[in-house]
Parts: sequence; C-alpha cells; structure tokens
Amino acid sequence: MTMKQNTPSAPRPIDWTAYASQLGALGVLIAICIIFALIEPAFVSSRNIFNVLRQVSIYGLLAVGMTFVILTGGIDLSIGSLLALAGLVSAAVYKGGMGLLSAGTAGQAEGFGLIPAIAAAVAVGVLGGLLQGTAIARLKVPPFIVTLGGLTAFRGGALLFSSGQPISTFTDEYKFWGQGMVGPVPVPVIIFLGFALLAYVVLRYTRYGRHLYAVGGNPEAARLSGLNVSRIVLSVYVITGFFAGLSGFLLSSRLNSAEQVAGVGYELTVIAGVVIGGTSLFGGEGGIFGTVIGILLIGVLSNGLTLLNVSPYYQQILVGLIIVFAVYLDQLVKRRRR
Amino acid sequence: MRKSFAMRSLYIVSSLIVLLALVLAGCAPSAAPSEGSEAAEPAAEAKVYRIAFSVPAMSFPFFVHMEKQVRDEAAKIGNIEIITLDGQDNTTKQVADLEGVIALGYDGLIVSPRTNEGVAPVIQQVIDAGIPVVTIDRRADGVNGLLAHVGADNVLGGEAQGAAILSLFPEGAKIIELLGTPGASPAIDRSAGLHNVIDPAGNIEVVCQQTGNFNRDGGLTVTENCLASNPDVQAIVAANDDMALGAIEAAKAAGVAIPIIGFDALPEALLAVRDGALYGSVEQFPGGQSRTALQTIVNFIVAGTAPASDVVLLTPKLITTENFDEAERIGEIPQ
Repeated sequence: MTMKQNTPSAPRPIDWTAYASQLGALGVLIAICIIFALIEPAFVSSRNIFNVLRQVSIYGLLAVGMTFVILTGGIDLSIGSLLALAGLVSAAVYKGGMGLLSAGTAGQAEGFGLIPAIAAAVAVGVLGGLLQGTAIARLKVPPFIVTLGGLTAFRGGALLFSSGQPISTFTDEYKFWGQGMVGPVPVPVIIFLGFALLAYVVLRYTRYGRHLYAVGGNPEAARLSGLNVSRIVLSVYVITGFFAGLSGFLLSSRLNSAEQVAGVGYELTVIAGVVIGGTSLFGGEGGIFGTVIGILLIGVLSNGLTLLNVSPYYQQILVGLIIVFAVYLDQLVKRRRR
Repeated sequence: MRKSFAMRSLYIVSSLIVLLALVLAGCAPSAAPSEGSEAAEPAAEAKVYRIAFSVPAMSFPFFVHMEKQVRDEAAKIGNIEIITLDGQDNTTKQVADLEGVIALGYDGLIVSPRTNEGVAPVIQQVIDAGIPVVTIDRRADGVNGLLAHVGADNVLGGEAQGAAILSLFPEGAKIIELLGTPGASPAIDRSAGLHNVIDPAGNIEVVCQQTGNFNRDGGLTVTENCLASNPDVQAIVAANDDMALGAIEAAKAAGVAIPIIGFDALPEALLAVRDGALYGSVEQFPGGQSRTALQTIVNFIVAGTAPASDVVLLTPKLITTENFDEAERIGEIPQ
C-alpha cells in the first residue's frame, strides 16, 4: 500500500472513477423509484415525494455527521441515544418543566423560549461529542467501545432526565421546525439539504476536508506530514454530536413529543445509509453525495414498500438484502478500479 | 496542552464517579434495608415483606405507571418493601434479575415477562424455590404453581376497537391498521381482536396494514405513507397510543380529519380524546392490575389465602368522550 493520492498538500483533481460506486447506488435508487412508480402512481405524487424527503431528513442530518466520522475510519454508535437526551433537554427548556404534560400544554409556552431550547439541544449534543471525542482522540480508547458506552449511557441519561416519561405537546412555533413548510417544501428537508451542501463544500474544498481524508486514508502518514491527527479525530465526534443534538430537537418538533425512546436503532440505519453511499468503513474514501443517495435509498424503500402494503416481515428482509447488494456493487466497482 | 488534557480527563473521570455514586445512591434504599430491618429491629416490629416487581423495561411509560401504582398500594397496605427490577428491554437481564430473586430470598415476586419463552423457565425456578409468584399483564405459559395471573385481555381490547369501527361505519369503510412490533404478543393479540370483529362484518377494508413498531415515529411515518397512496381512508386503528399520537400528527399535516383509535389510554391520549383529536383509546386498567396483583400476593403471604381464581382478567374498555370519567389516569392530565 502506498499513500493515497489525496495527500493533504495536493489539491485533489475531480476523480470521476471515485464517483463510480456512488453512481452505482444512484443507479439502484433510480431503478427502485421507477419500479415503485410503475406499480403505484401515488409514489411519484409531489406529496409523497416530500413525505419521503421529510422522513429521511433526520436520518440524513445524522448521516452527514456520521460521514465525517466514518471518513476518519471511526464510528459513532451513540447518536440515537444522544438524540433522545438532546430532544428531552430541548423540550424541557422550551416548556420550562419536566412533567409529562406540565405547564404550557398545547397552549402558550411558559418556558425559556425557542432559541434557548435549540441551543440547549445542540449544546447537549456537542458536549456529548466532546466527551466521546476526548476519550477517543486523547485517551486512545477505540471509537467502537467509547460510543458503545455512549449508546448505553446517554440513553440512561435520557431516562434519568425524564423519569421515563415523554415531554409532549408544543406550540406551533416549536413544531414549525419539524412539521412546517416553506412553500411546498418541508422545513426539515431544507435544513437537511442545507447542511448536506455545507458538508459537501467543507469536505471537497477546504483544507480541513482534505486533512480528514488524509487522516482516514493513512493516519500515520498524516501525522508524519504534520497534521494534528488527534485534534481532527476529536472534531468529527463533536460534529456528529452537533447533528445528534440538532436532530433531537427536530425529531421532538416533528413528533410533537420528546421521548426517552426516540432514536432507538437510528445509528444502524444511518451507518447503513453512509455505507450504501460508498463511504468506506475503513476511512479515507467516500463523501456526502453518496451518503445522501444512500439515505434516500433506505427512505424510498421503506416508503414504497409501505405504499404497496407489502407485509412488514418481507420489508425487513428486502431492506437487508438491498443493503448487502448495494455494498457488494460498491466493492465490485472498486476492485475493478484497482 | 498536555496539562489541559490531564485536567480534562480528570474532570471526566470525576464526573463519571459522581454520576455512578448518584445512581448507586438512588438504588441503595431498595437494596440495602434488608440487613437493617432484620438486625436493628428484632422480634417486636412487624415483619417487612420484600416483594420484587420485575418488568420488561422501565423505559416504557406503561410500566413506569404500573410500578408507581404498586408502590402506592404497598404504602397503603404497609410493611411491604417493593424492589423494582428493570429488565431494560433485555430478556437476559430479566432472567438474571429473577435468578437474583431466588438468591436473595425475597418473599414474593410480581413479574411481567418480557418474552414468554425466555422468562418462563426461570419463573418456574422461582416458584420451585418456594417463592409465591403472580404474573401481570403478560403471561408465562407452561409454568406450574403460579399463584395467579392478573392481566387484561388484549384480544378483547382489539375487539373493542373493532366494535367502535363497526358502530362508526355501519355502511363499511376503508381503514388503516397500525400494527405493533412484529412478533410481540400484544401486537398479535390486539390485531387478532380487531379482525375478530371487522372481518365477519365484511365491509371494512384494511387498505394499509403496516407496523409502526409501537412508537410515535413509526406511527407518523407509516400513516404519512399510507395516506399518500390511500387518501380516501376513513379511519385509523393503532395498536397503541404512541402510534395513534403519531398518526394524529400525520393526519393533521395531510389535512385529513378522520377518527383515530388508540390503545392503552395514556394521559396524553386521554388529552387528545378530550380535545377531539383522538376518537378513543382502549383502557386496560394497568393500575388496577398492579394493585390487584399486589393484594393477591400479600393475602397469600400474610394470611395464606389463595385467590379464588388463578386468572384475574380486567375487561378492557374503549374510552371516548362519552365515558371519559372511567379512564384510570384521568387525574394525570391538566384540567
């Protein structure tokens, strides 16, 4: 193995073969869309298309963060739990209370307002990420272990914080962010696509982005060429934490309820989306474009199969098979490239 | 840099220790007093009975409510200490909890087995160790010597939902059915009950039958999808309230106003019934179940009286605006 071509110093020329695997996932996505559209015309109604986009936007936000982590060769299993904790904190700050249906029910807010609520959710996420990132980058505990601990501990924190009860019913101002529309476009979709675009630009056109690929591709080489590897590793867990916090707020807004059970199993869906999108679990390869495609693929599958009223048992099997197939395709393309 | 790192890790470690201490402190009162009560208060004081209450997961509000009711009832009866064992939605954890019940020699056990197959064998071991056991809410099949099972019949609850659909739509209707977690016994039984009633009628068409996994997220997403392909749906039946509450949000977003029926009569669902967002929700009286279970086991331990029947089923009831006052948790919603 020689060093990857994308060393930190050299600006990377656009390597179209690198997109091949992502185009593979795109091909599968388009094929599936055509099949669904032929069987069920309602699938391509504008309402349903926005349904799918709205449904994937929270997974999508988490996947954007996860892409950063996986690019460095790491993993973050804690996002679902951190999301639940952040959502509860956000709801409690907004309502000014912890009780199940405490003050401000359905009516006016009596808490601390929207901005502090969002800030609190994001702060919880960033702090959680900072804590885990520190353990990974400085104490050198493997990311799988640290975030596995986070998966359990943050969920425990959520239960402790809420005494096992959801915090529900918000005002329209709060619900707008998860349920509202700007013209025909759902708000969470705008937030998702906005952050995806931002992340794309960061990864593709900034020095930080190139450093990330370098660290993921070959951490030792990156260190020798003078990169502060541990700071970069720390930063990606803060980024996933940020997205987990933001998503916690958005999910509570969308569901009109912050729950301690929110986000259970999200990490697996999100990791699946990132991997389907062609980002290598070993780091250094992949990107946001593929992640968006991967997450859309999962969302479209579950939406379309529900539309066709396929038995939920078959759905799970189908989704599983398609995940493996998409990654197999990815491997095939990469092998041919070498 | 290095120093700040040392400080930071010191901070992390110390906060973890504090957290651990808090958690242990929280657990201590339920675990420790056994020694104290036996050593410090000889003979004269009435014996304090230690009864374990083992549930599948304290992350479900349903079991949190049950646990609270058991504790309230215990305080009312007096001289009873309740030890709550949280299965953390993990069968292995619950099995280990119950093995602990034998090891610690508690006076009685009230248990809601997470899964029948996984937990029933260890329940048998508890009984064989001479500890009286009452199962609650969920059954344990094939266990001999159970003092009683106290529960509500999920099939009957599903039938109550079906009856409501028939009375709302005597001319027939297209409905969405939101199923619970695939394979879970309440999910199977509730759906079976619903179909026991609507299938013979012949004019109720379930155009979309999908799982929302008993959670709000699932109920919302599935309903959005089903409404996209079936905009002419006339009612939604959900196997629990969380999914029904999710369905309410989806219907609202789609601008559809149709009757939605939930299950469990959670306070939040009752609020939705009162506000007209939910047509009704099936009440299974979990508090009543808990209190009955505790009374049954205490009567047996203290007085030696076995219950008249070893299966006590509370009949579930659909709560609507008509009979709103019959809801068990009505006191928990703001006026």
